[in-house]
Amino acid sequence: MTPRVFQRNRRWDRLARWLISVGGVGVIGCVAVMLLLIVWMALPLFGKPHATEVVPAFTAPAGTPILAVGLDDNAEVGFTLGGDGFFQFLELRTGAVTARVPASPRAGKPGVKLTGVSAGRHLEYALAWDDGSWSLVRIAFRSSFETGRRQILHQVEILAEMPAAVTMPAGGAGQMRAGEKGGAVLVWLDPSGATFQVRRSVVKTDLLGNEETAMATYEIPVPAGSVTAFTVDLAGSTLYAGTADARLLRWNLGDDRAELLEQVRAFEDGRRITALGLVFGDVSLAVGDDRGGVSTWMPVALYGEGSSRRMELIHTLAAHASPVVEFPFVQSGKQLLSRSAAGLVRLDHMTSERKLLTLQGSQSLDAINISNRGDHLLALDRNGLLHLWDLDAPHAEISWKVLFGKVWYENYDRPALVWQSSAANDDAEPKFSFVPLIFGSLKATFYALFFAVPLALMGAIYTSQFTTPEVRGVVKPAVEIMAAVPSVVIGFLAALWLAPRVETAITGVFLFALILPVAFLLTLALWMAIRNTRLAKRVGRGFEFLPLIPVLILAGAAALALGPAVEKLLFAGDFKLWLFHTAGLRYDQRNSLIIAFALGFAVVPVIFTMAEDALSNVPNNLKAASLALGASRWQTVWRVILPSASPGVFAAVIIGFGRAVGETMIVLMATGNTPILDASPFNGMRTLSANIAVEIPEAPAGGTLFRLLFLSAVLLFLLTSVLNTAAELIRHRLRKKYGQF
Amino acid sequence: MSDTPLILPIENPVLKVSDLHLYYGDSEALHGISMGFPARQVTALIGPSGCGKSTLLRCLNRMNDLIEGVRVTGSLQLDDIEINDPALDVIGLRRRVGMVFQKSNPFPKSVYENVVYGLRIAGVGDRAVLDEAVEKSLRSAGLWDEVKDRLAESALGLSGGQMQRLCIARAIAVNPGIILMDEPCSALDPRSTARVEDLIVELRENYTIIIVTHNMQQAARVSDLTAFLYEGHLVEYGPTKRLFTKPLSPKTEDYITGRFG
Ligand SMILES: Nc1ncnc2c1ncn2[C@@H]1O[C@H](COP(=O)(O)OP(=O)(O)O)[C@@H](O)[C@H]1O
Ligand SMILES: [Mg+2]
Repeated sequence: MTPRVFQRNRRWDRLARWLISVGGVGVIGCVAVMLLLIVWMALPLFGKPHATEVVPAFTAPAGTPILAVGLDDNAEVGFTLGGDGFFQFLELRTGAVTARVPASPRAGKPGVKLTGVSAGRHLEYALAWDDGSWSLVRIAFRSSFETGRRQILHQVEILAEMPAAVTMPAGGAGQMRAGEKGGAVLVWLDPSGATFQVRRSVVKTDLLGNEETAMATYEIPVPAGSVTAFTVDLAGSTLYAGTADARLLRWNLGDDRAELLEQVRAFEDGRRITALGLVFGDVSLAVGDDRGGVSTWMPVALYGEGSSRRMELIHTLAAHASPVVEFPFVQSGKQLLSRSAAGLVRLDHMTSERKLLTLQGSQSLDAINISNRGDHLLALDRNGLLHLWDLDAPHAEISWKVLFGKVWYENYDRPALVWQSSAANDDAEPKFSFVPLIFGSLKATFYALFFAVPLALMGAIYTSQFTTPEVRGVVKPAVEIMAAVPSVVIGFLAALWLAPRVETAITGVFLFALILPVAFLLTLALWMAIRNTRLAKRVGRGFEFLPLIPVLILAGAAALALGPAVEKLLFAGDFKLWLFHTAGLRYDQRNSLIIAFALGFAVVPVIFTMAEDALSNVPNNLKAASLALGASRWQTVWRVILPSASPGVFAAVIIGFGRAVGETMIVLMATGNTPILDASPFNGMRTLSANIAVEIPEAPAGGTLFRLLFLSAVLLFLLTSVLNTAAELIRHRLRKKYGQF
Repeated sequence: MSDTPLILPIENPVLKVSDLHLYYGDSEALHGISMGFPARQVTALIGPSGCGKSTLLRCLNRMNDLIEGVRVTGSLQLDDIEINDPALDVIGLRRRVGMVFQKSNPFPKSVYENVVYGLRIAGVGDRAVLDEAVEKSLRSAGLWDEVKDRLAESALGLSGGQMQRLCIARAIAVNPGIILMDEPCSALDPRSTARVEDLIVELRENYTIIIVTHNMQQAARVSDLTAFLYEGHLVEYGPTKRLFTKPLSPKTEDYITGRFG
């Protein structure tokens, strides 16, 4: 070569090397950026909650003592409720009072005062007047654009009135709930704490349209101890009480009498129960005690379905330093707001048991109210200053424990691993456990590989070692074409064609798995007997599979034909019924067997091709060396070819694994997509990947579910890359041990 | 002179080839070879490249079975068994007729496992027996002192010459009567070649060795008898010294004087 040609080649070499490096680095870069992007989308899930004071604390409207405060959804208008029975509305940004509205016509009359207020539903107050009568009022806000710009209008609605009664002198604590058509129920605790009075007003309309209010009153004696805290659910049908000796009692409030459902001793260490409240949804009861402890309880059927329910401690949240005095109503999810005697306010999340925020004013906070969406909090401190906070506690329901650990959800009888992202009503507790999804992915993969790996590896061994190059030249491309079948098509066929057929012929399918090896062994025995006859000799080396094809077909036909008879004989004619009765297993049409076939079908070509390459690449001289030492073909394969090709074969299986884990379309179509934790082959699963496909259309961008789906994508990414890395490392070690193939 | 036959008849041969024809598909590679191989002697097969030396060698342990489309006629007698019998137990034959290849091909296993491979596949599992066989075979192959401390290491870490001697040790571990060698030194450096040649001479005590070589000096150094093949024909077969000094056939003479090949 002349120096010039040489130089030109060198230049080309350099260019090519440079291009290849740039390409490689580019690919790695792209993958890294992708990973970074999905991590970026998931990261806010772990953001720290924080609260900021929107405006500096300002002086509350002057006048009588303030009994309650509240604010609208946008934190523009707030109000205070004074002991004189007047609401004073104010602009929260400026502190200017805009209106003064009586809570009831009663207010404003000389000498009329409020003796107490108890908050119920959001912006709903039970007012106790000093003449012994009660009112239930609600503040309604709405936006108006009449003046050209947005204005928040307020209205005081009187929901129910309850006249005074001798049995309920002024001074006792009470809670009121609205009933139908202006009816209401008032639960009143005698100051002694030993009896409740329940008054129920029912409004009846007769045929002529006249309304008549009927009053019913009854007494509930407290069986033991004195009640220190109580609460009534929003429907006014269940009463919960806590006593000084830490007993929790639960009554069903009937029309004319109450039924004590249970009483349990909540604590044995001498605590007093000081506050009770219901978590939004009216299932969980928040219990606060005099040591600052905050816990939630709910009735659980401990001894299985149908057994009577008993209050159980479900979540223990972080404790206050001083006794808990109240749990103000929160309407935004399963958050829990608690106020302590020292005037500290805390926001926790019940499900995740996360301590979100602690708020304090310049002085003890005495009256607080959280906005409907849970994003603002208005509080009055002892100095008469109003504080307005902007609360930011996004994705509070997420913690590592929730994602990967067992959580005791509402209406569950025991802690469980559940994925259920959405429910019909918005007071349901979302359940975000990744475990059933990871389990689903692994289950699908396991069944697919269980079917595909033996098939693909045996096929690869046979094609590379036993058959002729001509057969190999047909088989290999044919299998590779299998890989080109779009997974939608496989999923579609599996779901709509295969699944119903397997369902009807399930006994036959199992029978086939049994008959085939037997038939194979019989054929083998027969073959050994006739191998030296002229007929057998006509089957060339490498074509031994030909006589097996009719065996396969016959075994299949025999299995399918015998299926119904065997089903009649062993399973009383119906396998599915038998399965359910004897093993308690349900048979779903789109089950793991279908996944094994369908996903296996997708994975076979991947494993087969790579394994076949690895096996064929074992140098012939090793094979020759083994055979020349008197090894049979099988011994050679088993002791020389397979170990030598093991790095490649191993890599093939792992790549197949990765393909199965990441596969979406097939599992999406051919399973029921129920996120269950059940290894049974007769039901389906929901995989991480299918879950993303199923839920992303319903996940509002930026929401918890949306980000969780990204997090599950990270998980999927990590799962496959960790696997592939591990595989690469093992392959490297194997290669070191077994040479270069 | 004229009473010396071109093809030396061998008395009591361990291996007797009669009228051996071999076809690769339609092309005939061996045209009726007849010769005997004497016990405990080294027989060299020489001839120009492509004359059928390897093909003939492969007939002796039926390694030609591995090649598609090979057809063999004629008879190959080992003691009293017919090698060419289609019903023959090939595995048993190959245990009696070992082979060493041109390119050393140790298994990607430890030195130890390489040596005992033939015993293991024959079902020998007794550790003591295997240990003894390893030491004996490696000693016979002159490799023991070099590798006795690294028996557990991969055989692929040995030098080229050591690997080839390991292959010889592996072949003799199963105690074959006959060892076939197909240009065992062609990939080795001169020093390693010399060692292998010494080894062949030593092995001659216990084994019948048939060696293919196109290196005439090598044939002269190690063999007792030499057969000259040319285009699939056995041209001349006789004692090595005589064949190299007084070849009977002009073709042989041309070849050994380097006029072709
Ligand atoms: N596998 C094969 N298929 C077809 N022809 C072959 C094969 N191996 C060898 N031959 C042919 O047989 C003849 C003898 O080859 P070979 O025995 O390898 O010669 P040598 O070992 O003496 O160099 C050559 O013409 C060669 O082309
Ligand atoms: Mg050759």
